[in-house]
Formats: sequence, structure tokens, C-alpha cells
Amino acid sequence: MKIALLYGTETGTTEMLCEDLEGHLGGDHEVEMADLGDTDPTSLDGDSLHLILCSTYGDGELPATAQPFAQALIDAGADLSGIRFAIFGLGDSTYETFNEGSQKLAELLVKHGAKQVGDRTTYDAMSGDMPEDSAFPWAEERIAEAEPLFAAS
Amino acid sequence: MIQIAIVGAGPSGCYLAQALLKAVPGAHIDILDRLPVPFGLVRYGVAPDHQGTKAVARQFARLFEKQGVGFIGNVTLGQEGEGGTLSLSELQSAYDVVVLALGLPKDRALPLPGAALPGVIGAGQLTRHWNDHPDDSASLPDLGRRVVIVGQGNVAIDVLRILAKRAEHFDGSDLAHRHSDHIAAAGIESIDILGRSPAHEAKFDPVMVKELAKLPHMGFAFEGLAHSGAASQDDARLEALANLPAAADHDIRVTFHFGATPTRLTGTDRVSAAQFDCDGAELSLPCDTVVSAIGFETHVPGLRDDLLAGAEDAALGVLRPGLYAAGWFARGPRGTIPENRQAAQALAARIAQDLGTLPKTSKTGAAALAARLSGLTDYAGWQRIDAAELAACDAGRVRAKVADLTDMLTLAAGRAQDHPETET
Ligand SMILES: Cc1cc2nc3c(=O)[nH]c(=O)nc-3n(C[C@H](O)[C@H](O)[C@H](O)COP(=O)(O)OP(=O)(O)OC[C@H]3O[C@@H](n4cnc5c(N)ncnc54)[C@H](O)[C@@H]3O)c2cc1C
Ligand SMILES: Cc1cc2nc3c(=O)[nH]c(=O)nc-3n(C[C@H](O)[C@H](O)[C@H](O)COP(=O)(O)O)c2cc1C
Repeated sequence: MKIALLYGTETGTTEMLCEDLEGHLGGDHEVEMADLGDTDPTSLDGDSLHLILCSTYGDGELPATAQPFAQALIDAGADLSGIRFAIFGLGDSTYETFNEGSQKLAELLVKHGAKQVGDRTTYDAMSGDMPEDSAFPWAEERIAEAEPLFAAS
Repeated sequence: MIQIAIVGAGPSGCYLAQALLKAVPGAHIDILDRLPVPFGLVRYGVAPDHQGTKAVARQFARLFEKQGVGFIGNVTLGQEGEGGTLSLSELQSAYDVVVLALGLPKDRALPLPGAALPGVIGAGQLTRHWNDHPDDSASLPDLGRRVVIVGQGNVAIDVLRILAKRAEHFDGSDLAHRHSDHIAAAGIESIDILGRSPAHEAKFDPVMVKELAKLPHMGFAFEGLAHSGAASQDDARLEALANLPAAADHDIRVTFHFGATPTRLTGTDRVSAAQFDCDGAELSLPCDTVVSAIGFETHVPGLRDDLLAGAEDAALGVLRPGLYAAGWFARGPRGTIPENRQAAQALAARIAQDLGTLPKTSKTGAAALAARLSGLTDYAGWQRIDAAELAACDAGRVRAKVADLTDMLTLAAGRAQDHPETET
């Protein structure tokens, strides 16, 4: 399957996780990885499943590289109705605004017509777990859920 | 091969190495540090009860574990001719590019009469102590029941929170039990935290104050809120303060004072009161300890000031072609870990550009250092320290730091440590 692996990051953790995920999925799928900050929301590809990973920063805000993407999406008023995505959030439960960044991004994408595959999964930096331990199964499950959708179209 | 040395293994040095791996493919990068352990303030500044923030170190570990960056520990960059140190000119003769990412570890002292009294301590020294930095781990500061904190940045709030927390709130942290026991034994009753700015311009991030609201044994009072006027009532800082529980029958009373300028500290053998100017009126706060959290400065004054004065582009960190500065050392003691990431990316792009115009050389990097210096440590040495710290940790803690430099060096060298707890 064609997979677009997109990340929004502030301190780089999410980028590193995506690199790991690219290595993990690359053998079985056609994976392209990009920073949301370098991604034009109007150029998303309907043939790919978008796996989006995004942290939270400030007081529940989008991280630095997701902000220009979100702004461009709002400004362009882009129609994403042909786009399917799954989302994984990184946050820290010390903050009351736990994982609100990924939630805001998911809501924004849905508002612009994109279809979400499966529920958002969140990772808590305070838990001491490694993010890949939940991100790898998340990606595999969402890909399995999405496969029939792409086969049908 | 192009040889790049980054001096200082804190976030700015590590982020810069990350960015240089992409911007200058094929170059060899070494990160040098005066300690045998990497990560700078991530290990020694970031609060022990903020393990989520410390997790950024995992990302930096990858540089050394997978991306071919070298770690050379136990080497201090110092002034020319200073014994036991490496000078800048020596370093530059070994490497094509040298980047100084030394941070700013020295507390800016309160410029006040009485600032040298016992009982007055810098926030950097105190947080290094709690983080078991070998420079400051040994001395246990005597806290007393009444603490005054001068300054209202995020570091000041870290100090406030750690002083105010109960022992059970440190579960899941890496604060050694000797520290939490010591804090509990002090029996702190009141903490006054003062800043010159009005509340809406205070330097703390609102989330830092929101976190305090979770600690049920603390009550809060406020002085000088009027400085913010009515216009800024919806300010995020004021809102965070307004949501703190009021001081009633709480065990610890915390008072925020805004618009308070410190004027002098008084006491005979030890500080016993701190005086402030509040709109022309004198406020005198009786206290046992004063913590100053008013910023940081360099520990190598001649080096930094001279280099920055002659810099080609100080804002970006270009000192002269082949010599650069990054992080707090370049920009001053402001800004969070992620800000260093963005700055590192801009500096890496500039270094890549400059390398195009530098004459080709055949410098030998680490080999030249090894020939000249003894006692250098490497990344495997840090991994041995790390493993020992993880293995030694006790209930409720995620790590037990080795706080003594000699012990660290022993572990790094892979020699058996003659420590009672490891003899079993
Ligand atoms: C108490 C405190 C708490 C903080 N908490 C947070 C937080 O929670 N979140 C956040 O985002 N930011 C926090 N910050 C800010 C953050 O730590 C800094 O933005 C960041 O560490 C600056 O990185 P740096 O690499 O420039 O300096 P540093 O992290 O200070 O690294 C400098 C490195 O250089 C080494 N070094 C120094 N002198 C020499 C020498 N002569 N020779 C060789 N090596 C040398 C040091 O050992 C150190 O490893 C905090 C800062 C402080 C002081
Ligand atoms: C200054 C700062 C603010 C943060 N704010 C939040 C927040 O509001 N909510 C949350 O869930 N996590 C928050 N986090 C935690 C990050 O989302 C978490 O550390 C994540 O792993 C960082 O990923 P990144 O490196 O890709 O940006 C914050 C972290 C920092 C350093």
C-alpha cells in the first residue's frame, strides 16, 4: 500500500519516531516520509493512506512544524474529501492539555473533509514507555483497517 | 574527510550535530564535553519530576548509537595555557570546524548588599544539586522554613515546585531520596516568590503555574496584581494565577509578589530577611533562605566576550569562518530546548555554506586529541554509567544518578567501582 508518513514536531521526537516507522514499514509498503511543515495540504494524494504523527506544544497547541500546515489548510480552504488519514499523538500527561495538538489537527482535517481511519492513539512521554511500542502496532492496525478501503476504490 | 568538533553535549550541541548530519553529509562529527556524560541541562537542569521533558535525551542518544557521531568526554575547553585543558587553538588545529556550545552555567548573582551571606543560593546551583551534578552534588543547602525566591521565570517556578512538593509527589522522578528527605525535613511553611514585572509580563509560562494547582497542600496569595490593571484581565498568566487555590489552612503558603524590586539582604551569620522596593514602599520579608533565579552567565568570561565582540554574525552564531557558537553560549540564557533546535538548523545551513569556500585540509580530529590528552572518555563509557544508574535505582525512582566525578570516571573506564552498594 502507498503510505504517506507525515509528522509535526517541535523538539524532534516525532521526526525520530517517523524515521523508525519508515524503517519498520518500508519493507512491506511504499512509504514516503515528510515534515508537515514542508507539506502543501492541497497536494495530499488520495491514493495514499496518510499516517500522521503529531506532538503537542505550549499549552495544548500544535507543534512548530504543524502550524504552517494547519494555517495553509485554513487559508486555502482546501477540500480533502478524497483523503484518508490515521493519527497518532505524542504528549505529556504533566500538562492538562494532554495531546490536544493531535486532537486539534485531526479535527481540522475532518472539518476539511478528510476521512479518519480508526481512533486517534496517544502516547504519554511521562509514562516512560518507548513511543515505538505503541506507534508500530498503531500503524499496523490502521493499515489493516484501511487496506479494504483502498482495494475497493 | 571534514572534521567537525562541537564543544558541549547539551541540547544545542546535540541538535546542531543532528542538523549537520543532514547539511554536511560525509563529515565526521565529534561532540566534546567536560563531563563523561552527555546532554547538558537535560540531565542537569530540567527538573527531576519532569521526566517527560528529559525523554528528549533518547533522541540525542541516537546520534552516538546509530548516526556515527563521536562522544569525547572529560575534556575541558579552557583558556590558552591553562593546565589540564584544551585550548581553542589546539582544537582548531585538529578540526576544520569548531562550534562552541558551552552553555551558561554560572548563576547571575544578585547585585545587592548582603548577597554573599550564607543562605543565599543561586537557582542553577540548587537545581544542579538536586540533579546530582558533580560540581554541586556534595553540599546540602540548609533550607529552613521560610524561603524567598527572587525571580519569576520557569526556573524559579521549578524551584518553587520542588521545594513545595511532598515526598510522594516525587514518585517516578529521578530525584534522589536524600534530596526529597532533606526537603521534607526542612518543614517549609512559606515561600515568597518575587519579580519586578507586573503579573501579565512575568517570565513564567502559564502551564508552569497551572501545574502548581495540582498540589492540594499548597495555598496561594498575591501581592501587586494591581500593576496589571484591568486591560489585561484575560491574560493567560493572570488566568493561571487566578485558578490557584487561595491560601487558607494549607500546609505551605505561597505568595506571589509582582512589581517588587530587591534592594538588600540582611542578616548576621546568615540571611534573615530580604528587602524589596514595592512602589516606593519597603517590603521586608523575614526568611531562612533566599534563592536567586535571575538568569545565567558564562563561566569563561574572556573567551565568550571576546569572541562575541568580534563575531561576524553573532545572532546566527558565526564567530569567524570555521568557528561558531550555538545555544545559550551564543544567544544568552533565554529559551527552551526546542528553540535550540530551530537555531541549530539555521546555523548548520550556514556552516554547510561556509564549508564550500574553506580551503581543503587533512585534519585528524579525535586522533589528534587522543595523542595530546589522557583520560578521555567515550560514549560506551557513558553507557556504563547509564546502566549502573538504572540498575541502582530504588523504589519510586527511575534512576539513581552517580553524583561523584571520580565514581563516574571509574565507571566510564569500565573499572570495578569500590562502592559499598556495588559490592554485593
Ligand atoms: C534549571 C533549568 C531548567 C530548565 N528546564 C527546562 C525545561 O524544562 N524545558 C525546556 O525546554 N528548557 C529548559 N531549560 C532551558 C534549557 O535547558 C536550555 O535551553 C538548553 O539546555 C541550552 O542548551 P545548551 O546546549 O546551549 O547548554 P547546556 O545544556 O548548558 O549544555 C552545555 C554543555 O557544555 C558543557 N561544557 C560547559 N563548559 C565546558 C567546557 N569549558 N568544556 C567542555 N564542555 C563544557 C557542559 O557540561 C554541558 O554539557 C532549563 C534551564 C535551566 C537552567
Ligand atoms: C514546553 C513544552 C510544552 C508542552 N506542552 C504540552 C501540552 O500542552 N500537552 C501535551 O500533551 N504535551 C506537551 N508537551 C510534551 C510534548 O508533546 C512531548 O514531549 C512530545 O513527545 C514532544 O514531541 P516532539 O519532540 O516531536 O515535539 C510539551 C513539551 C514541552 C517541552
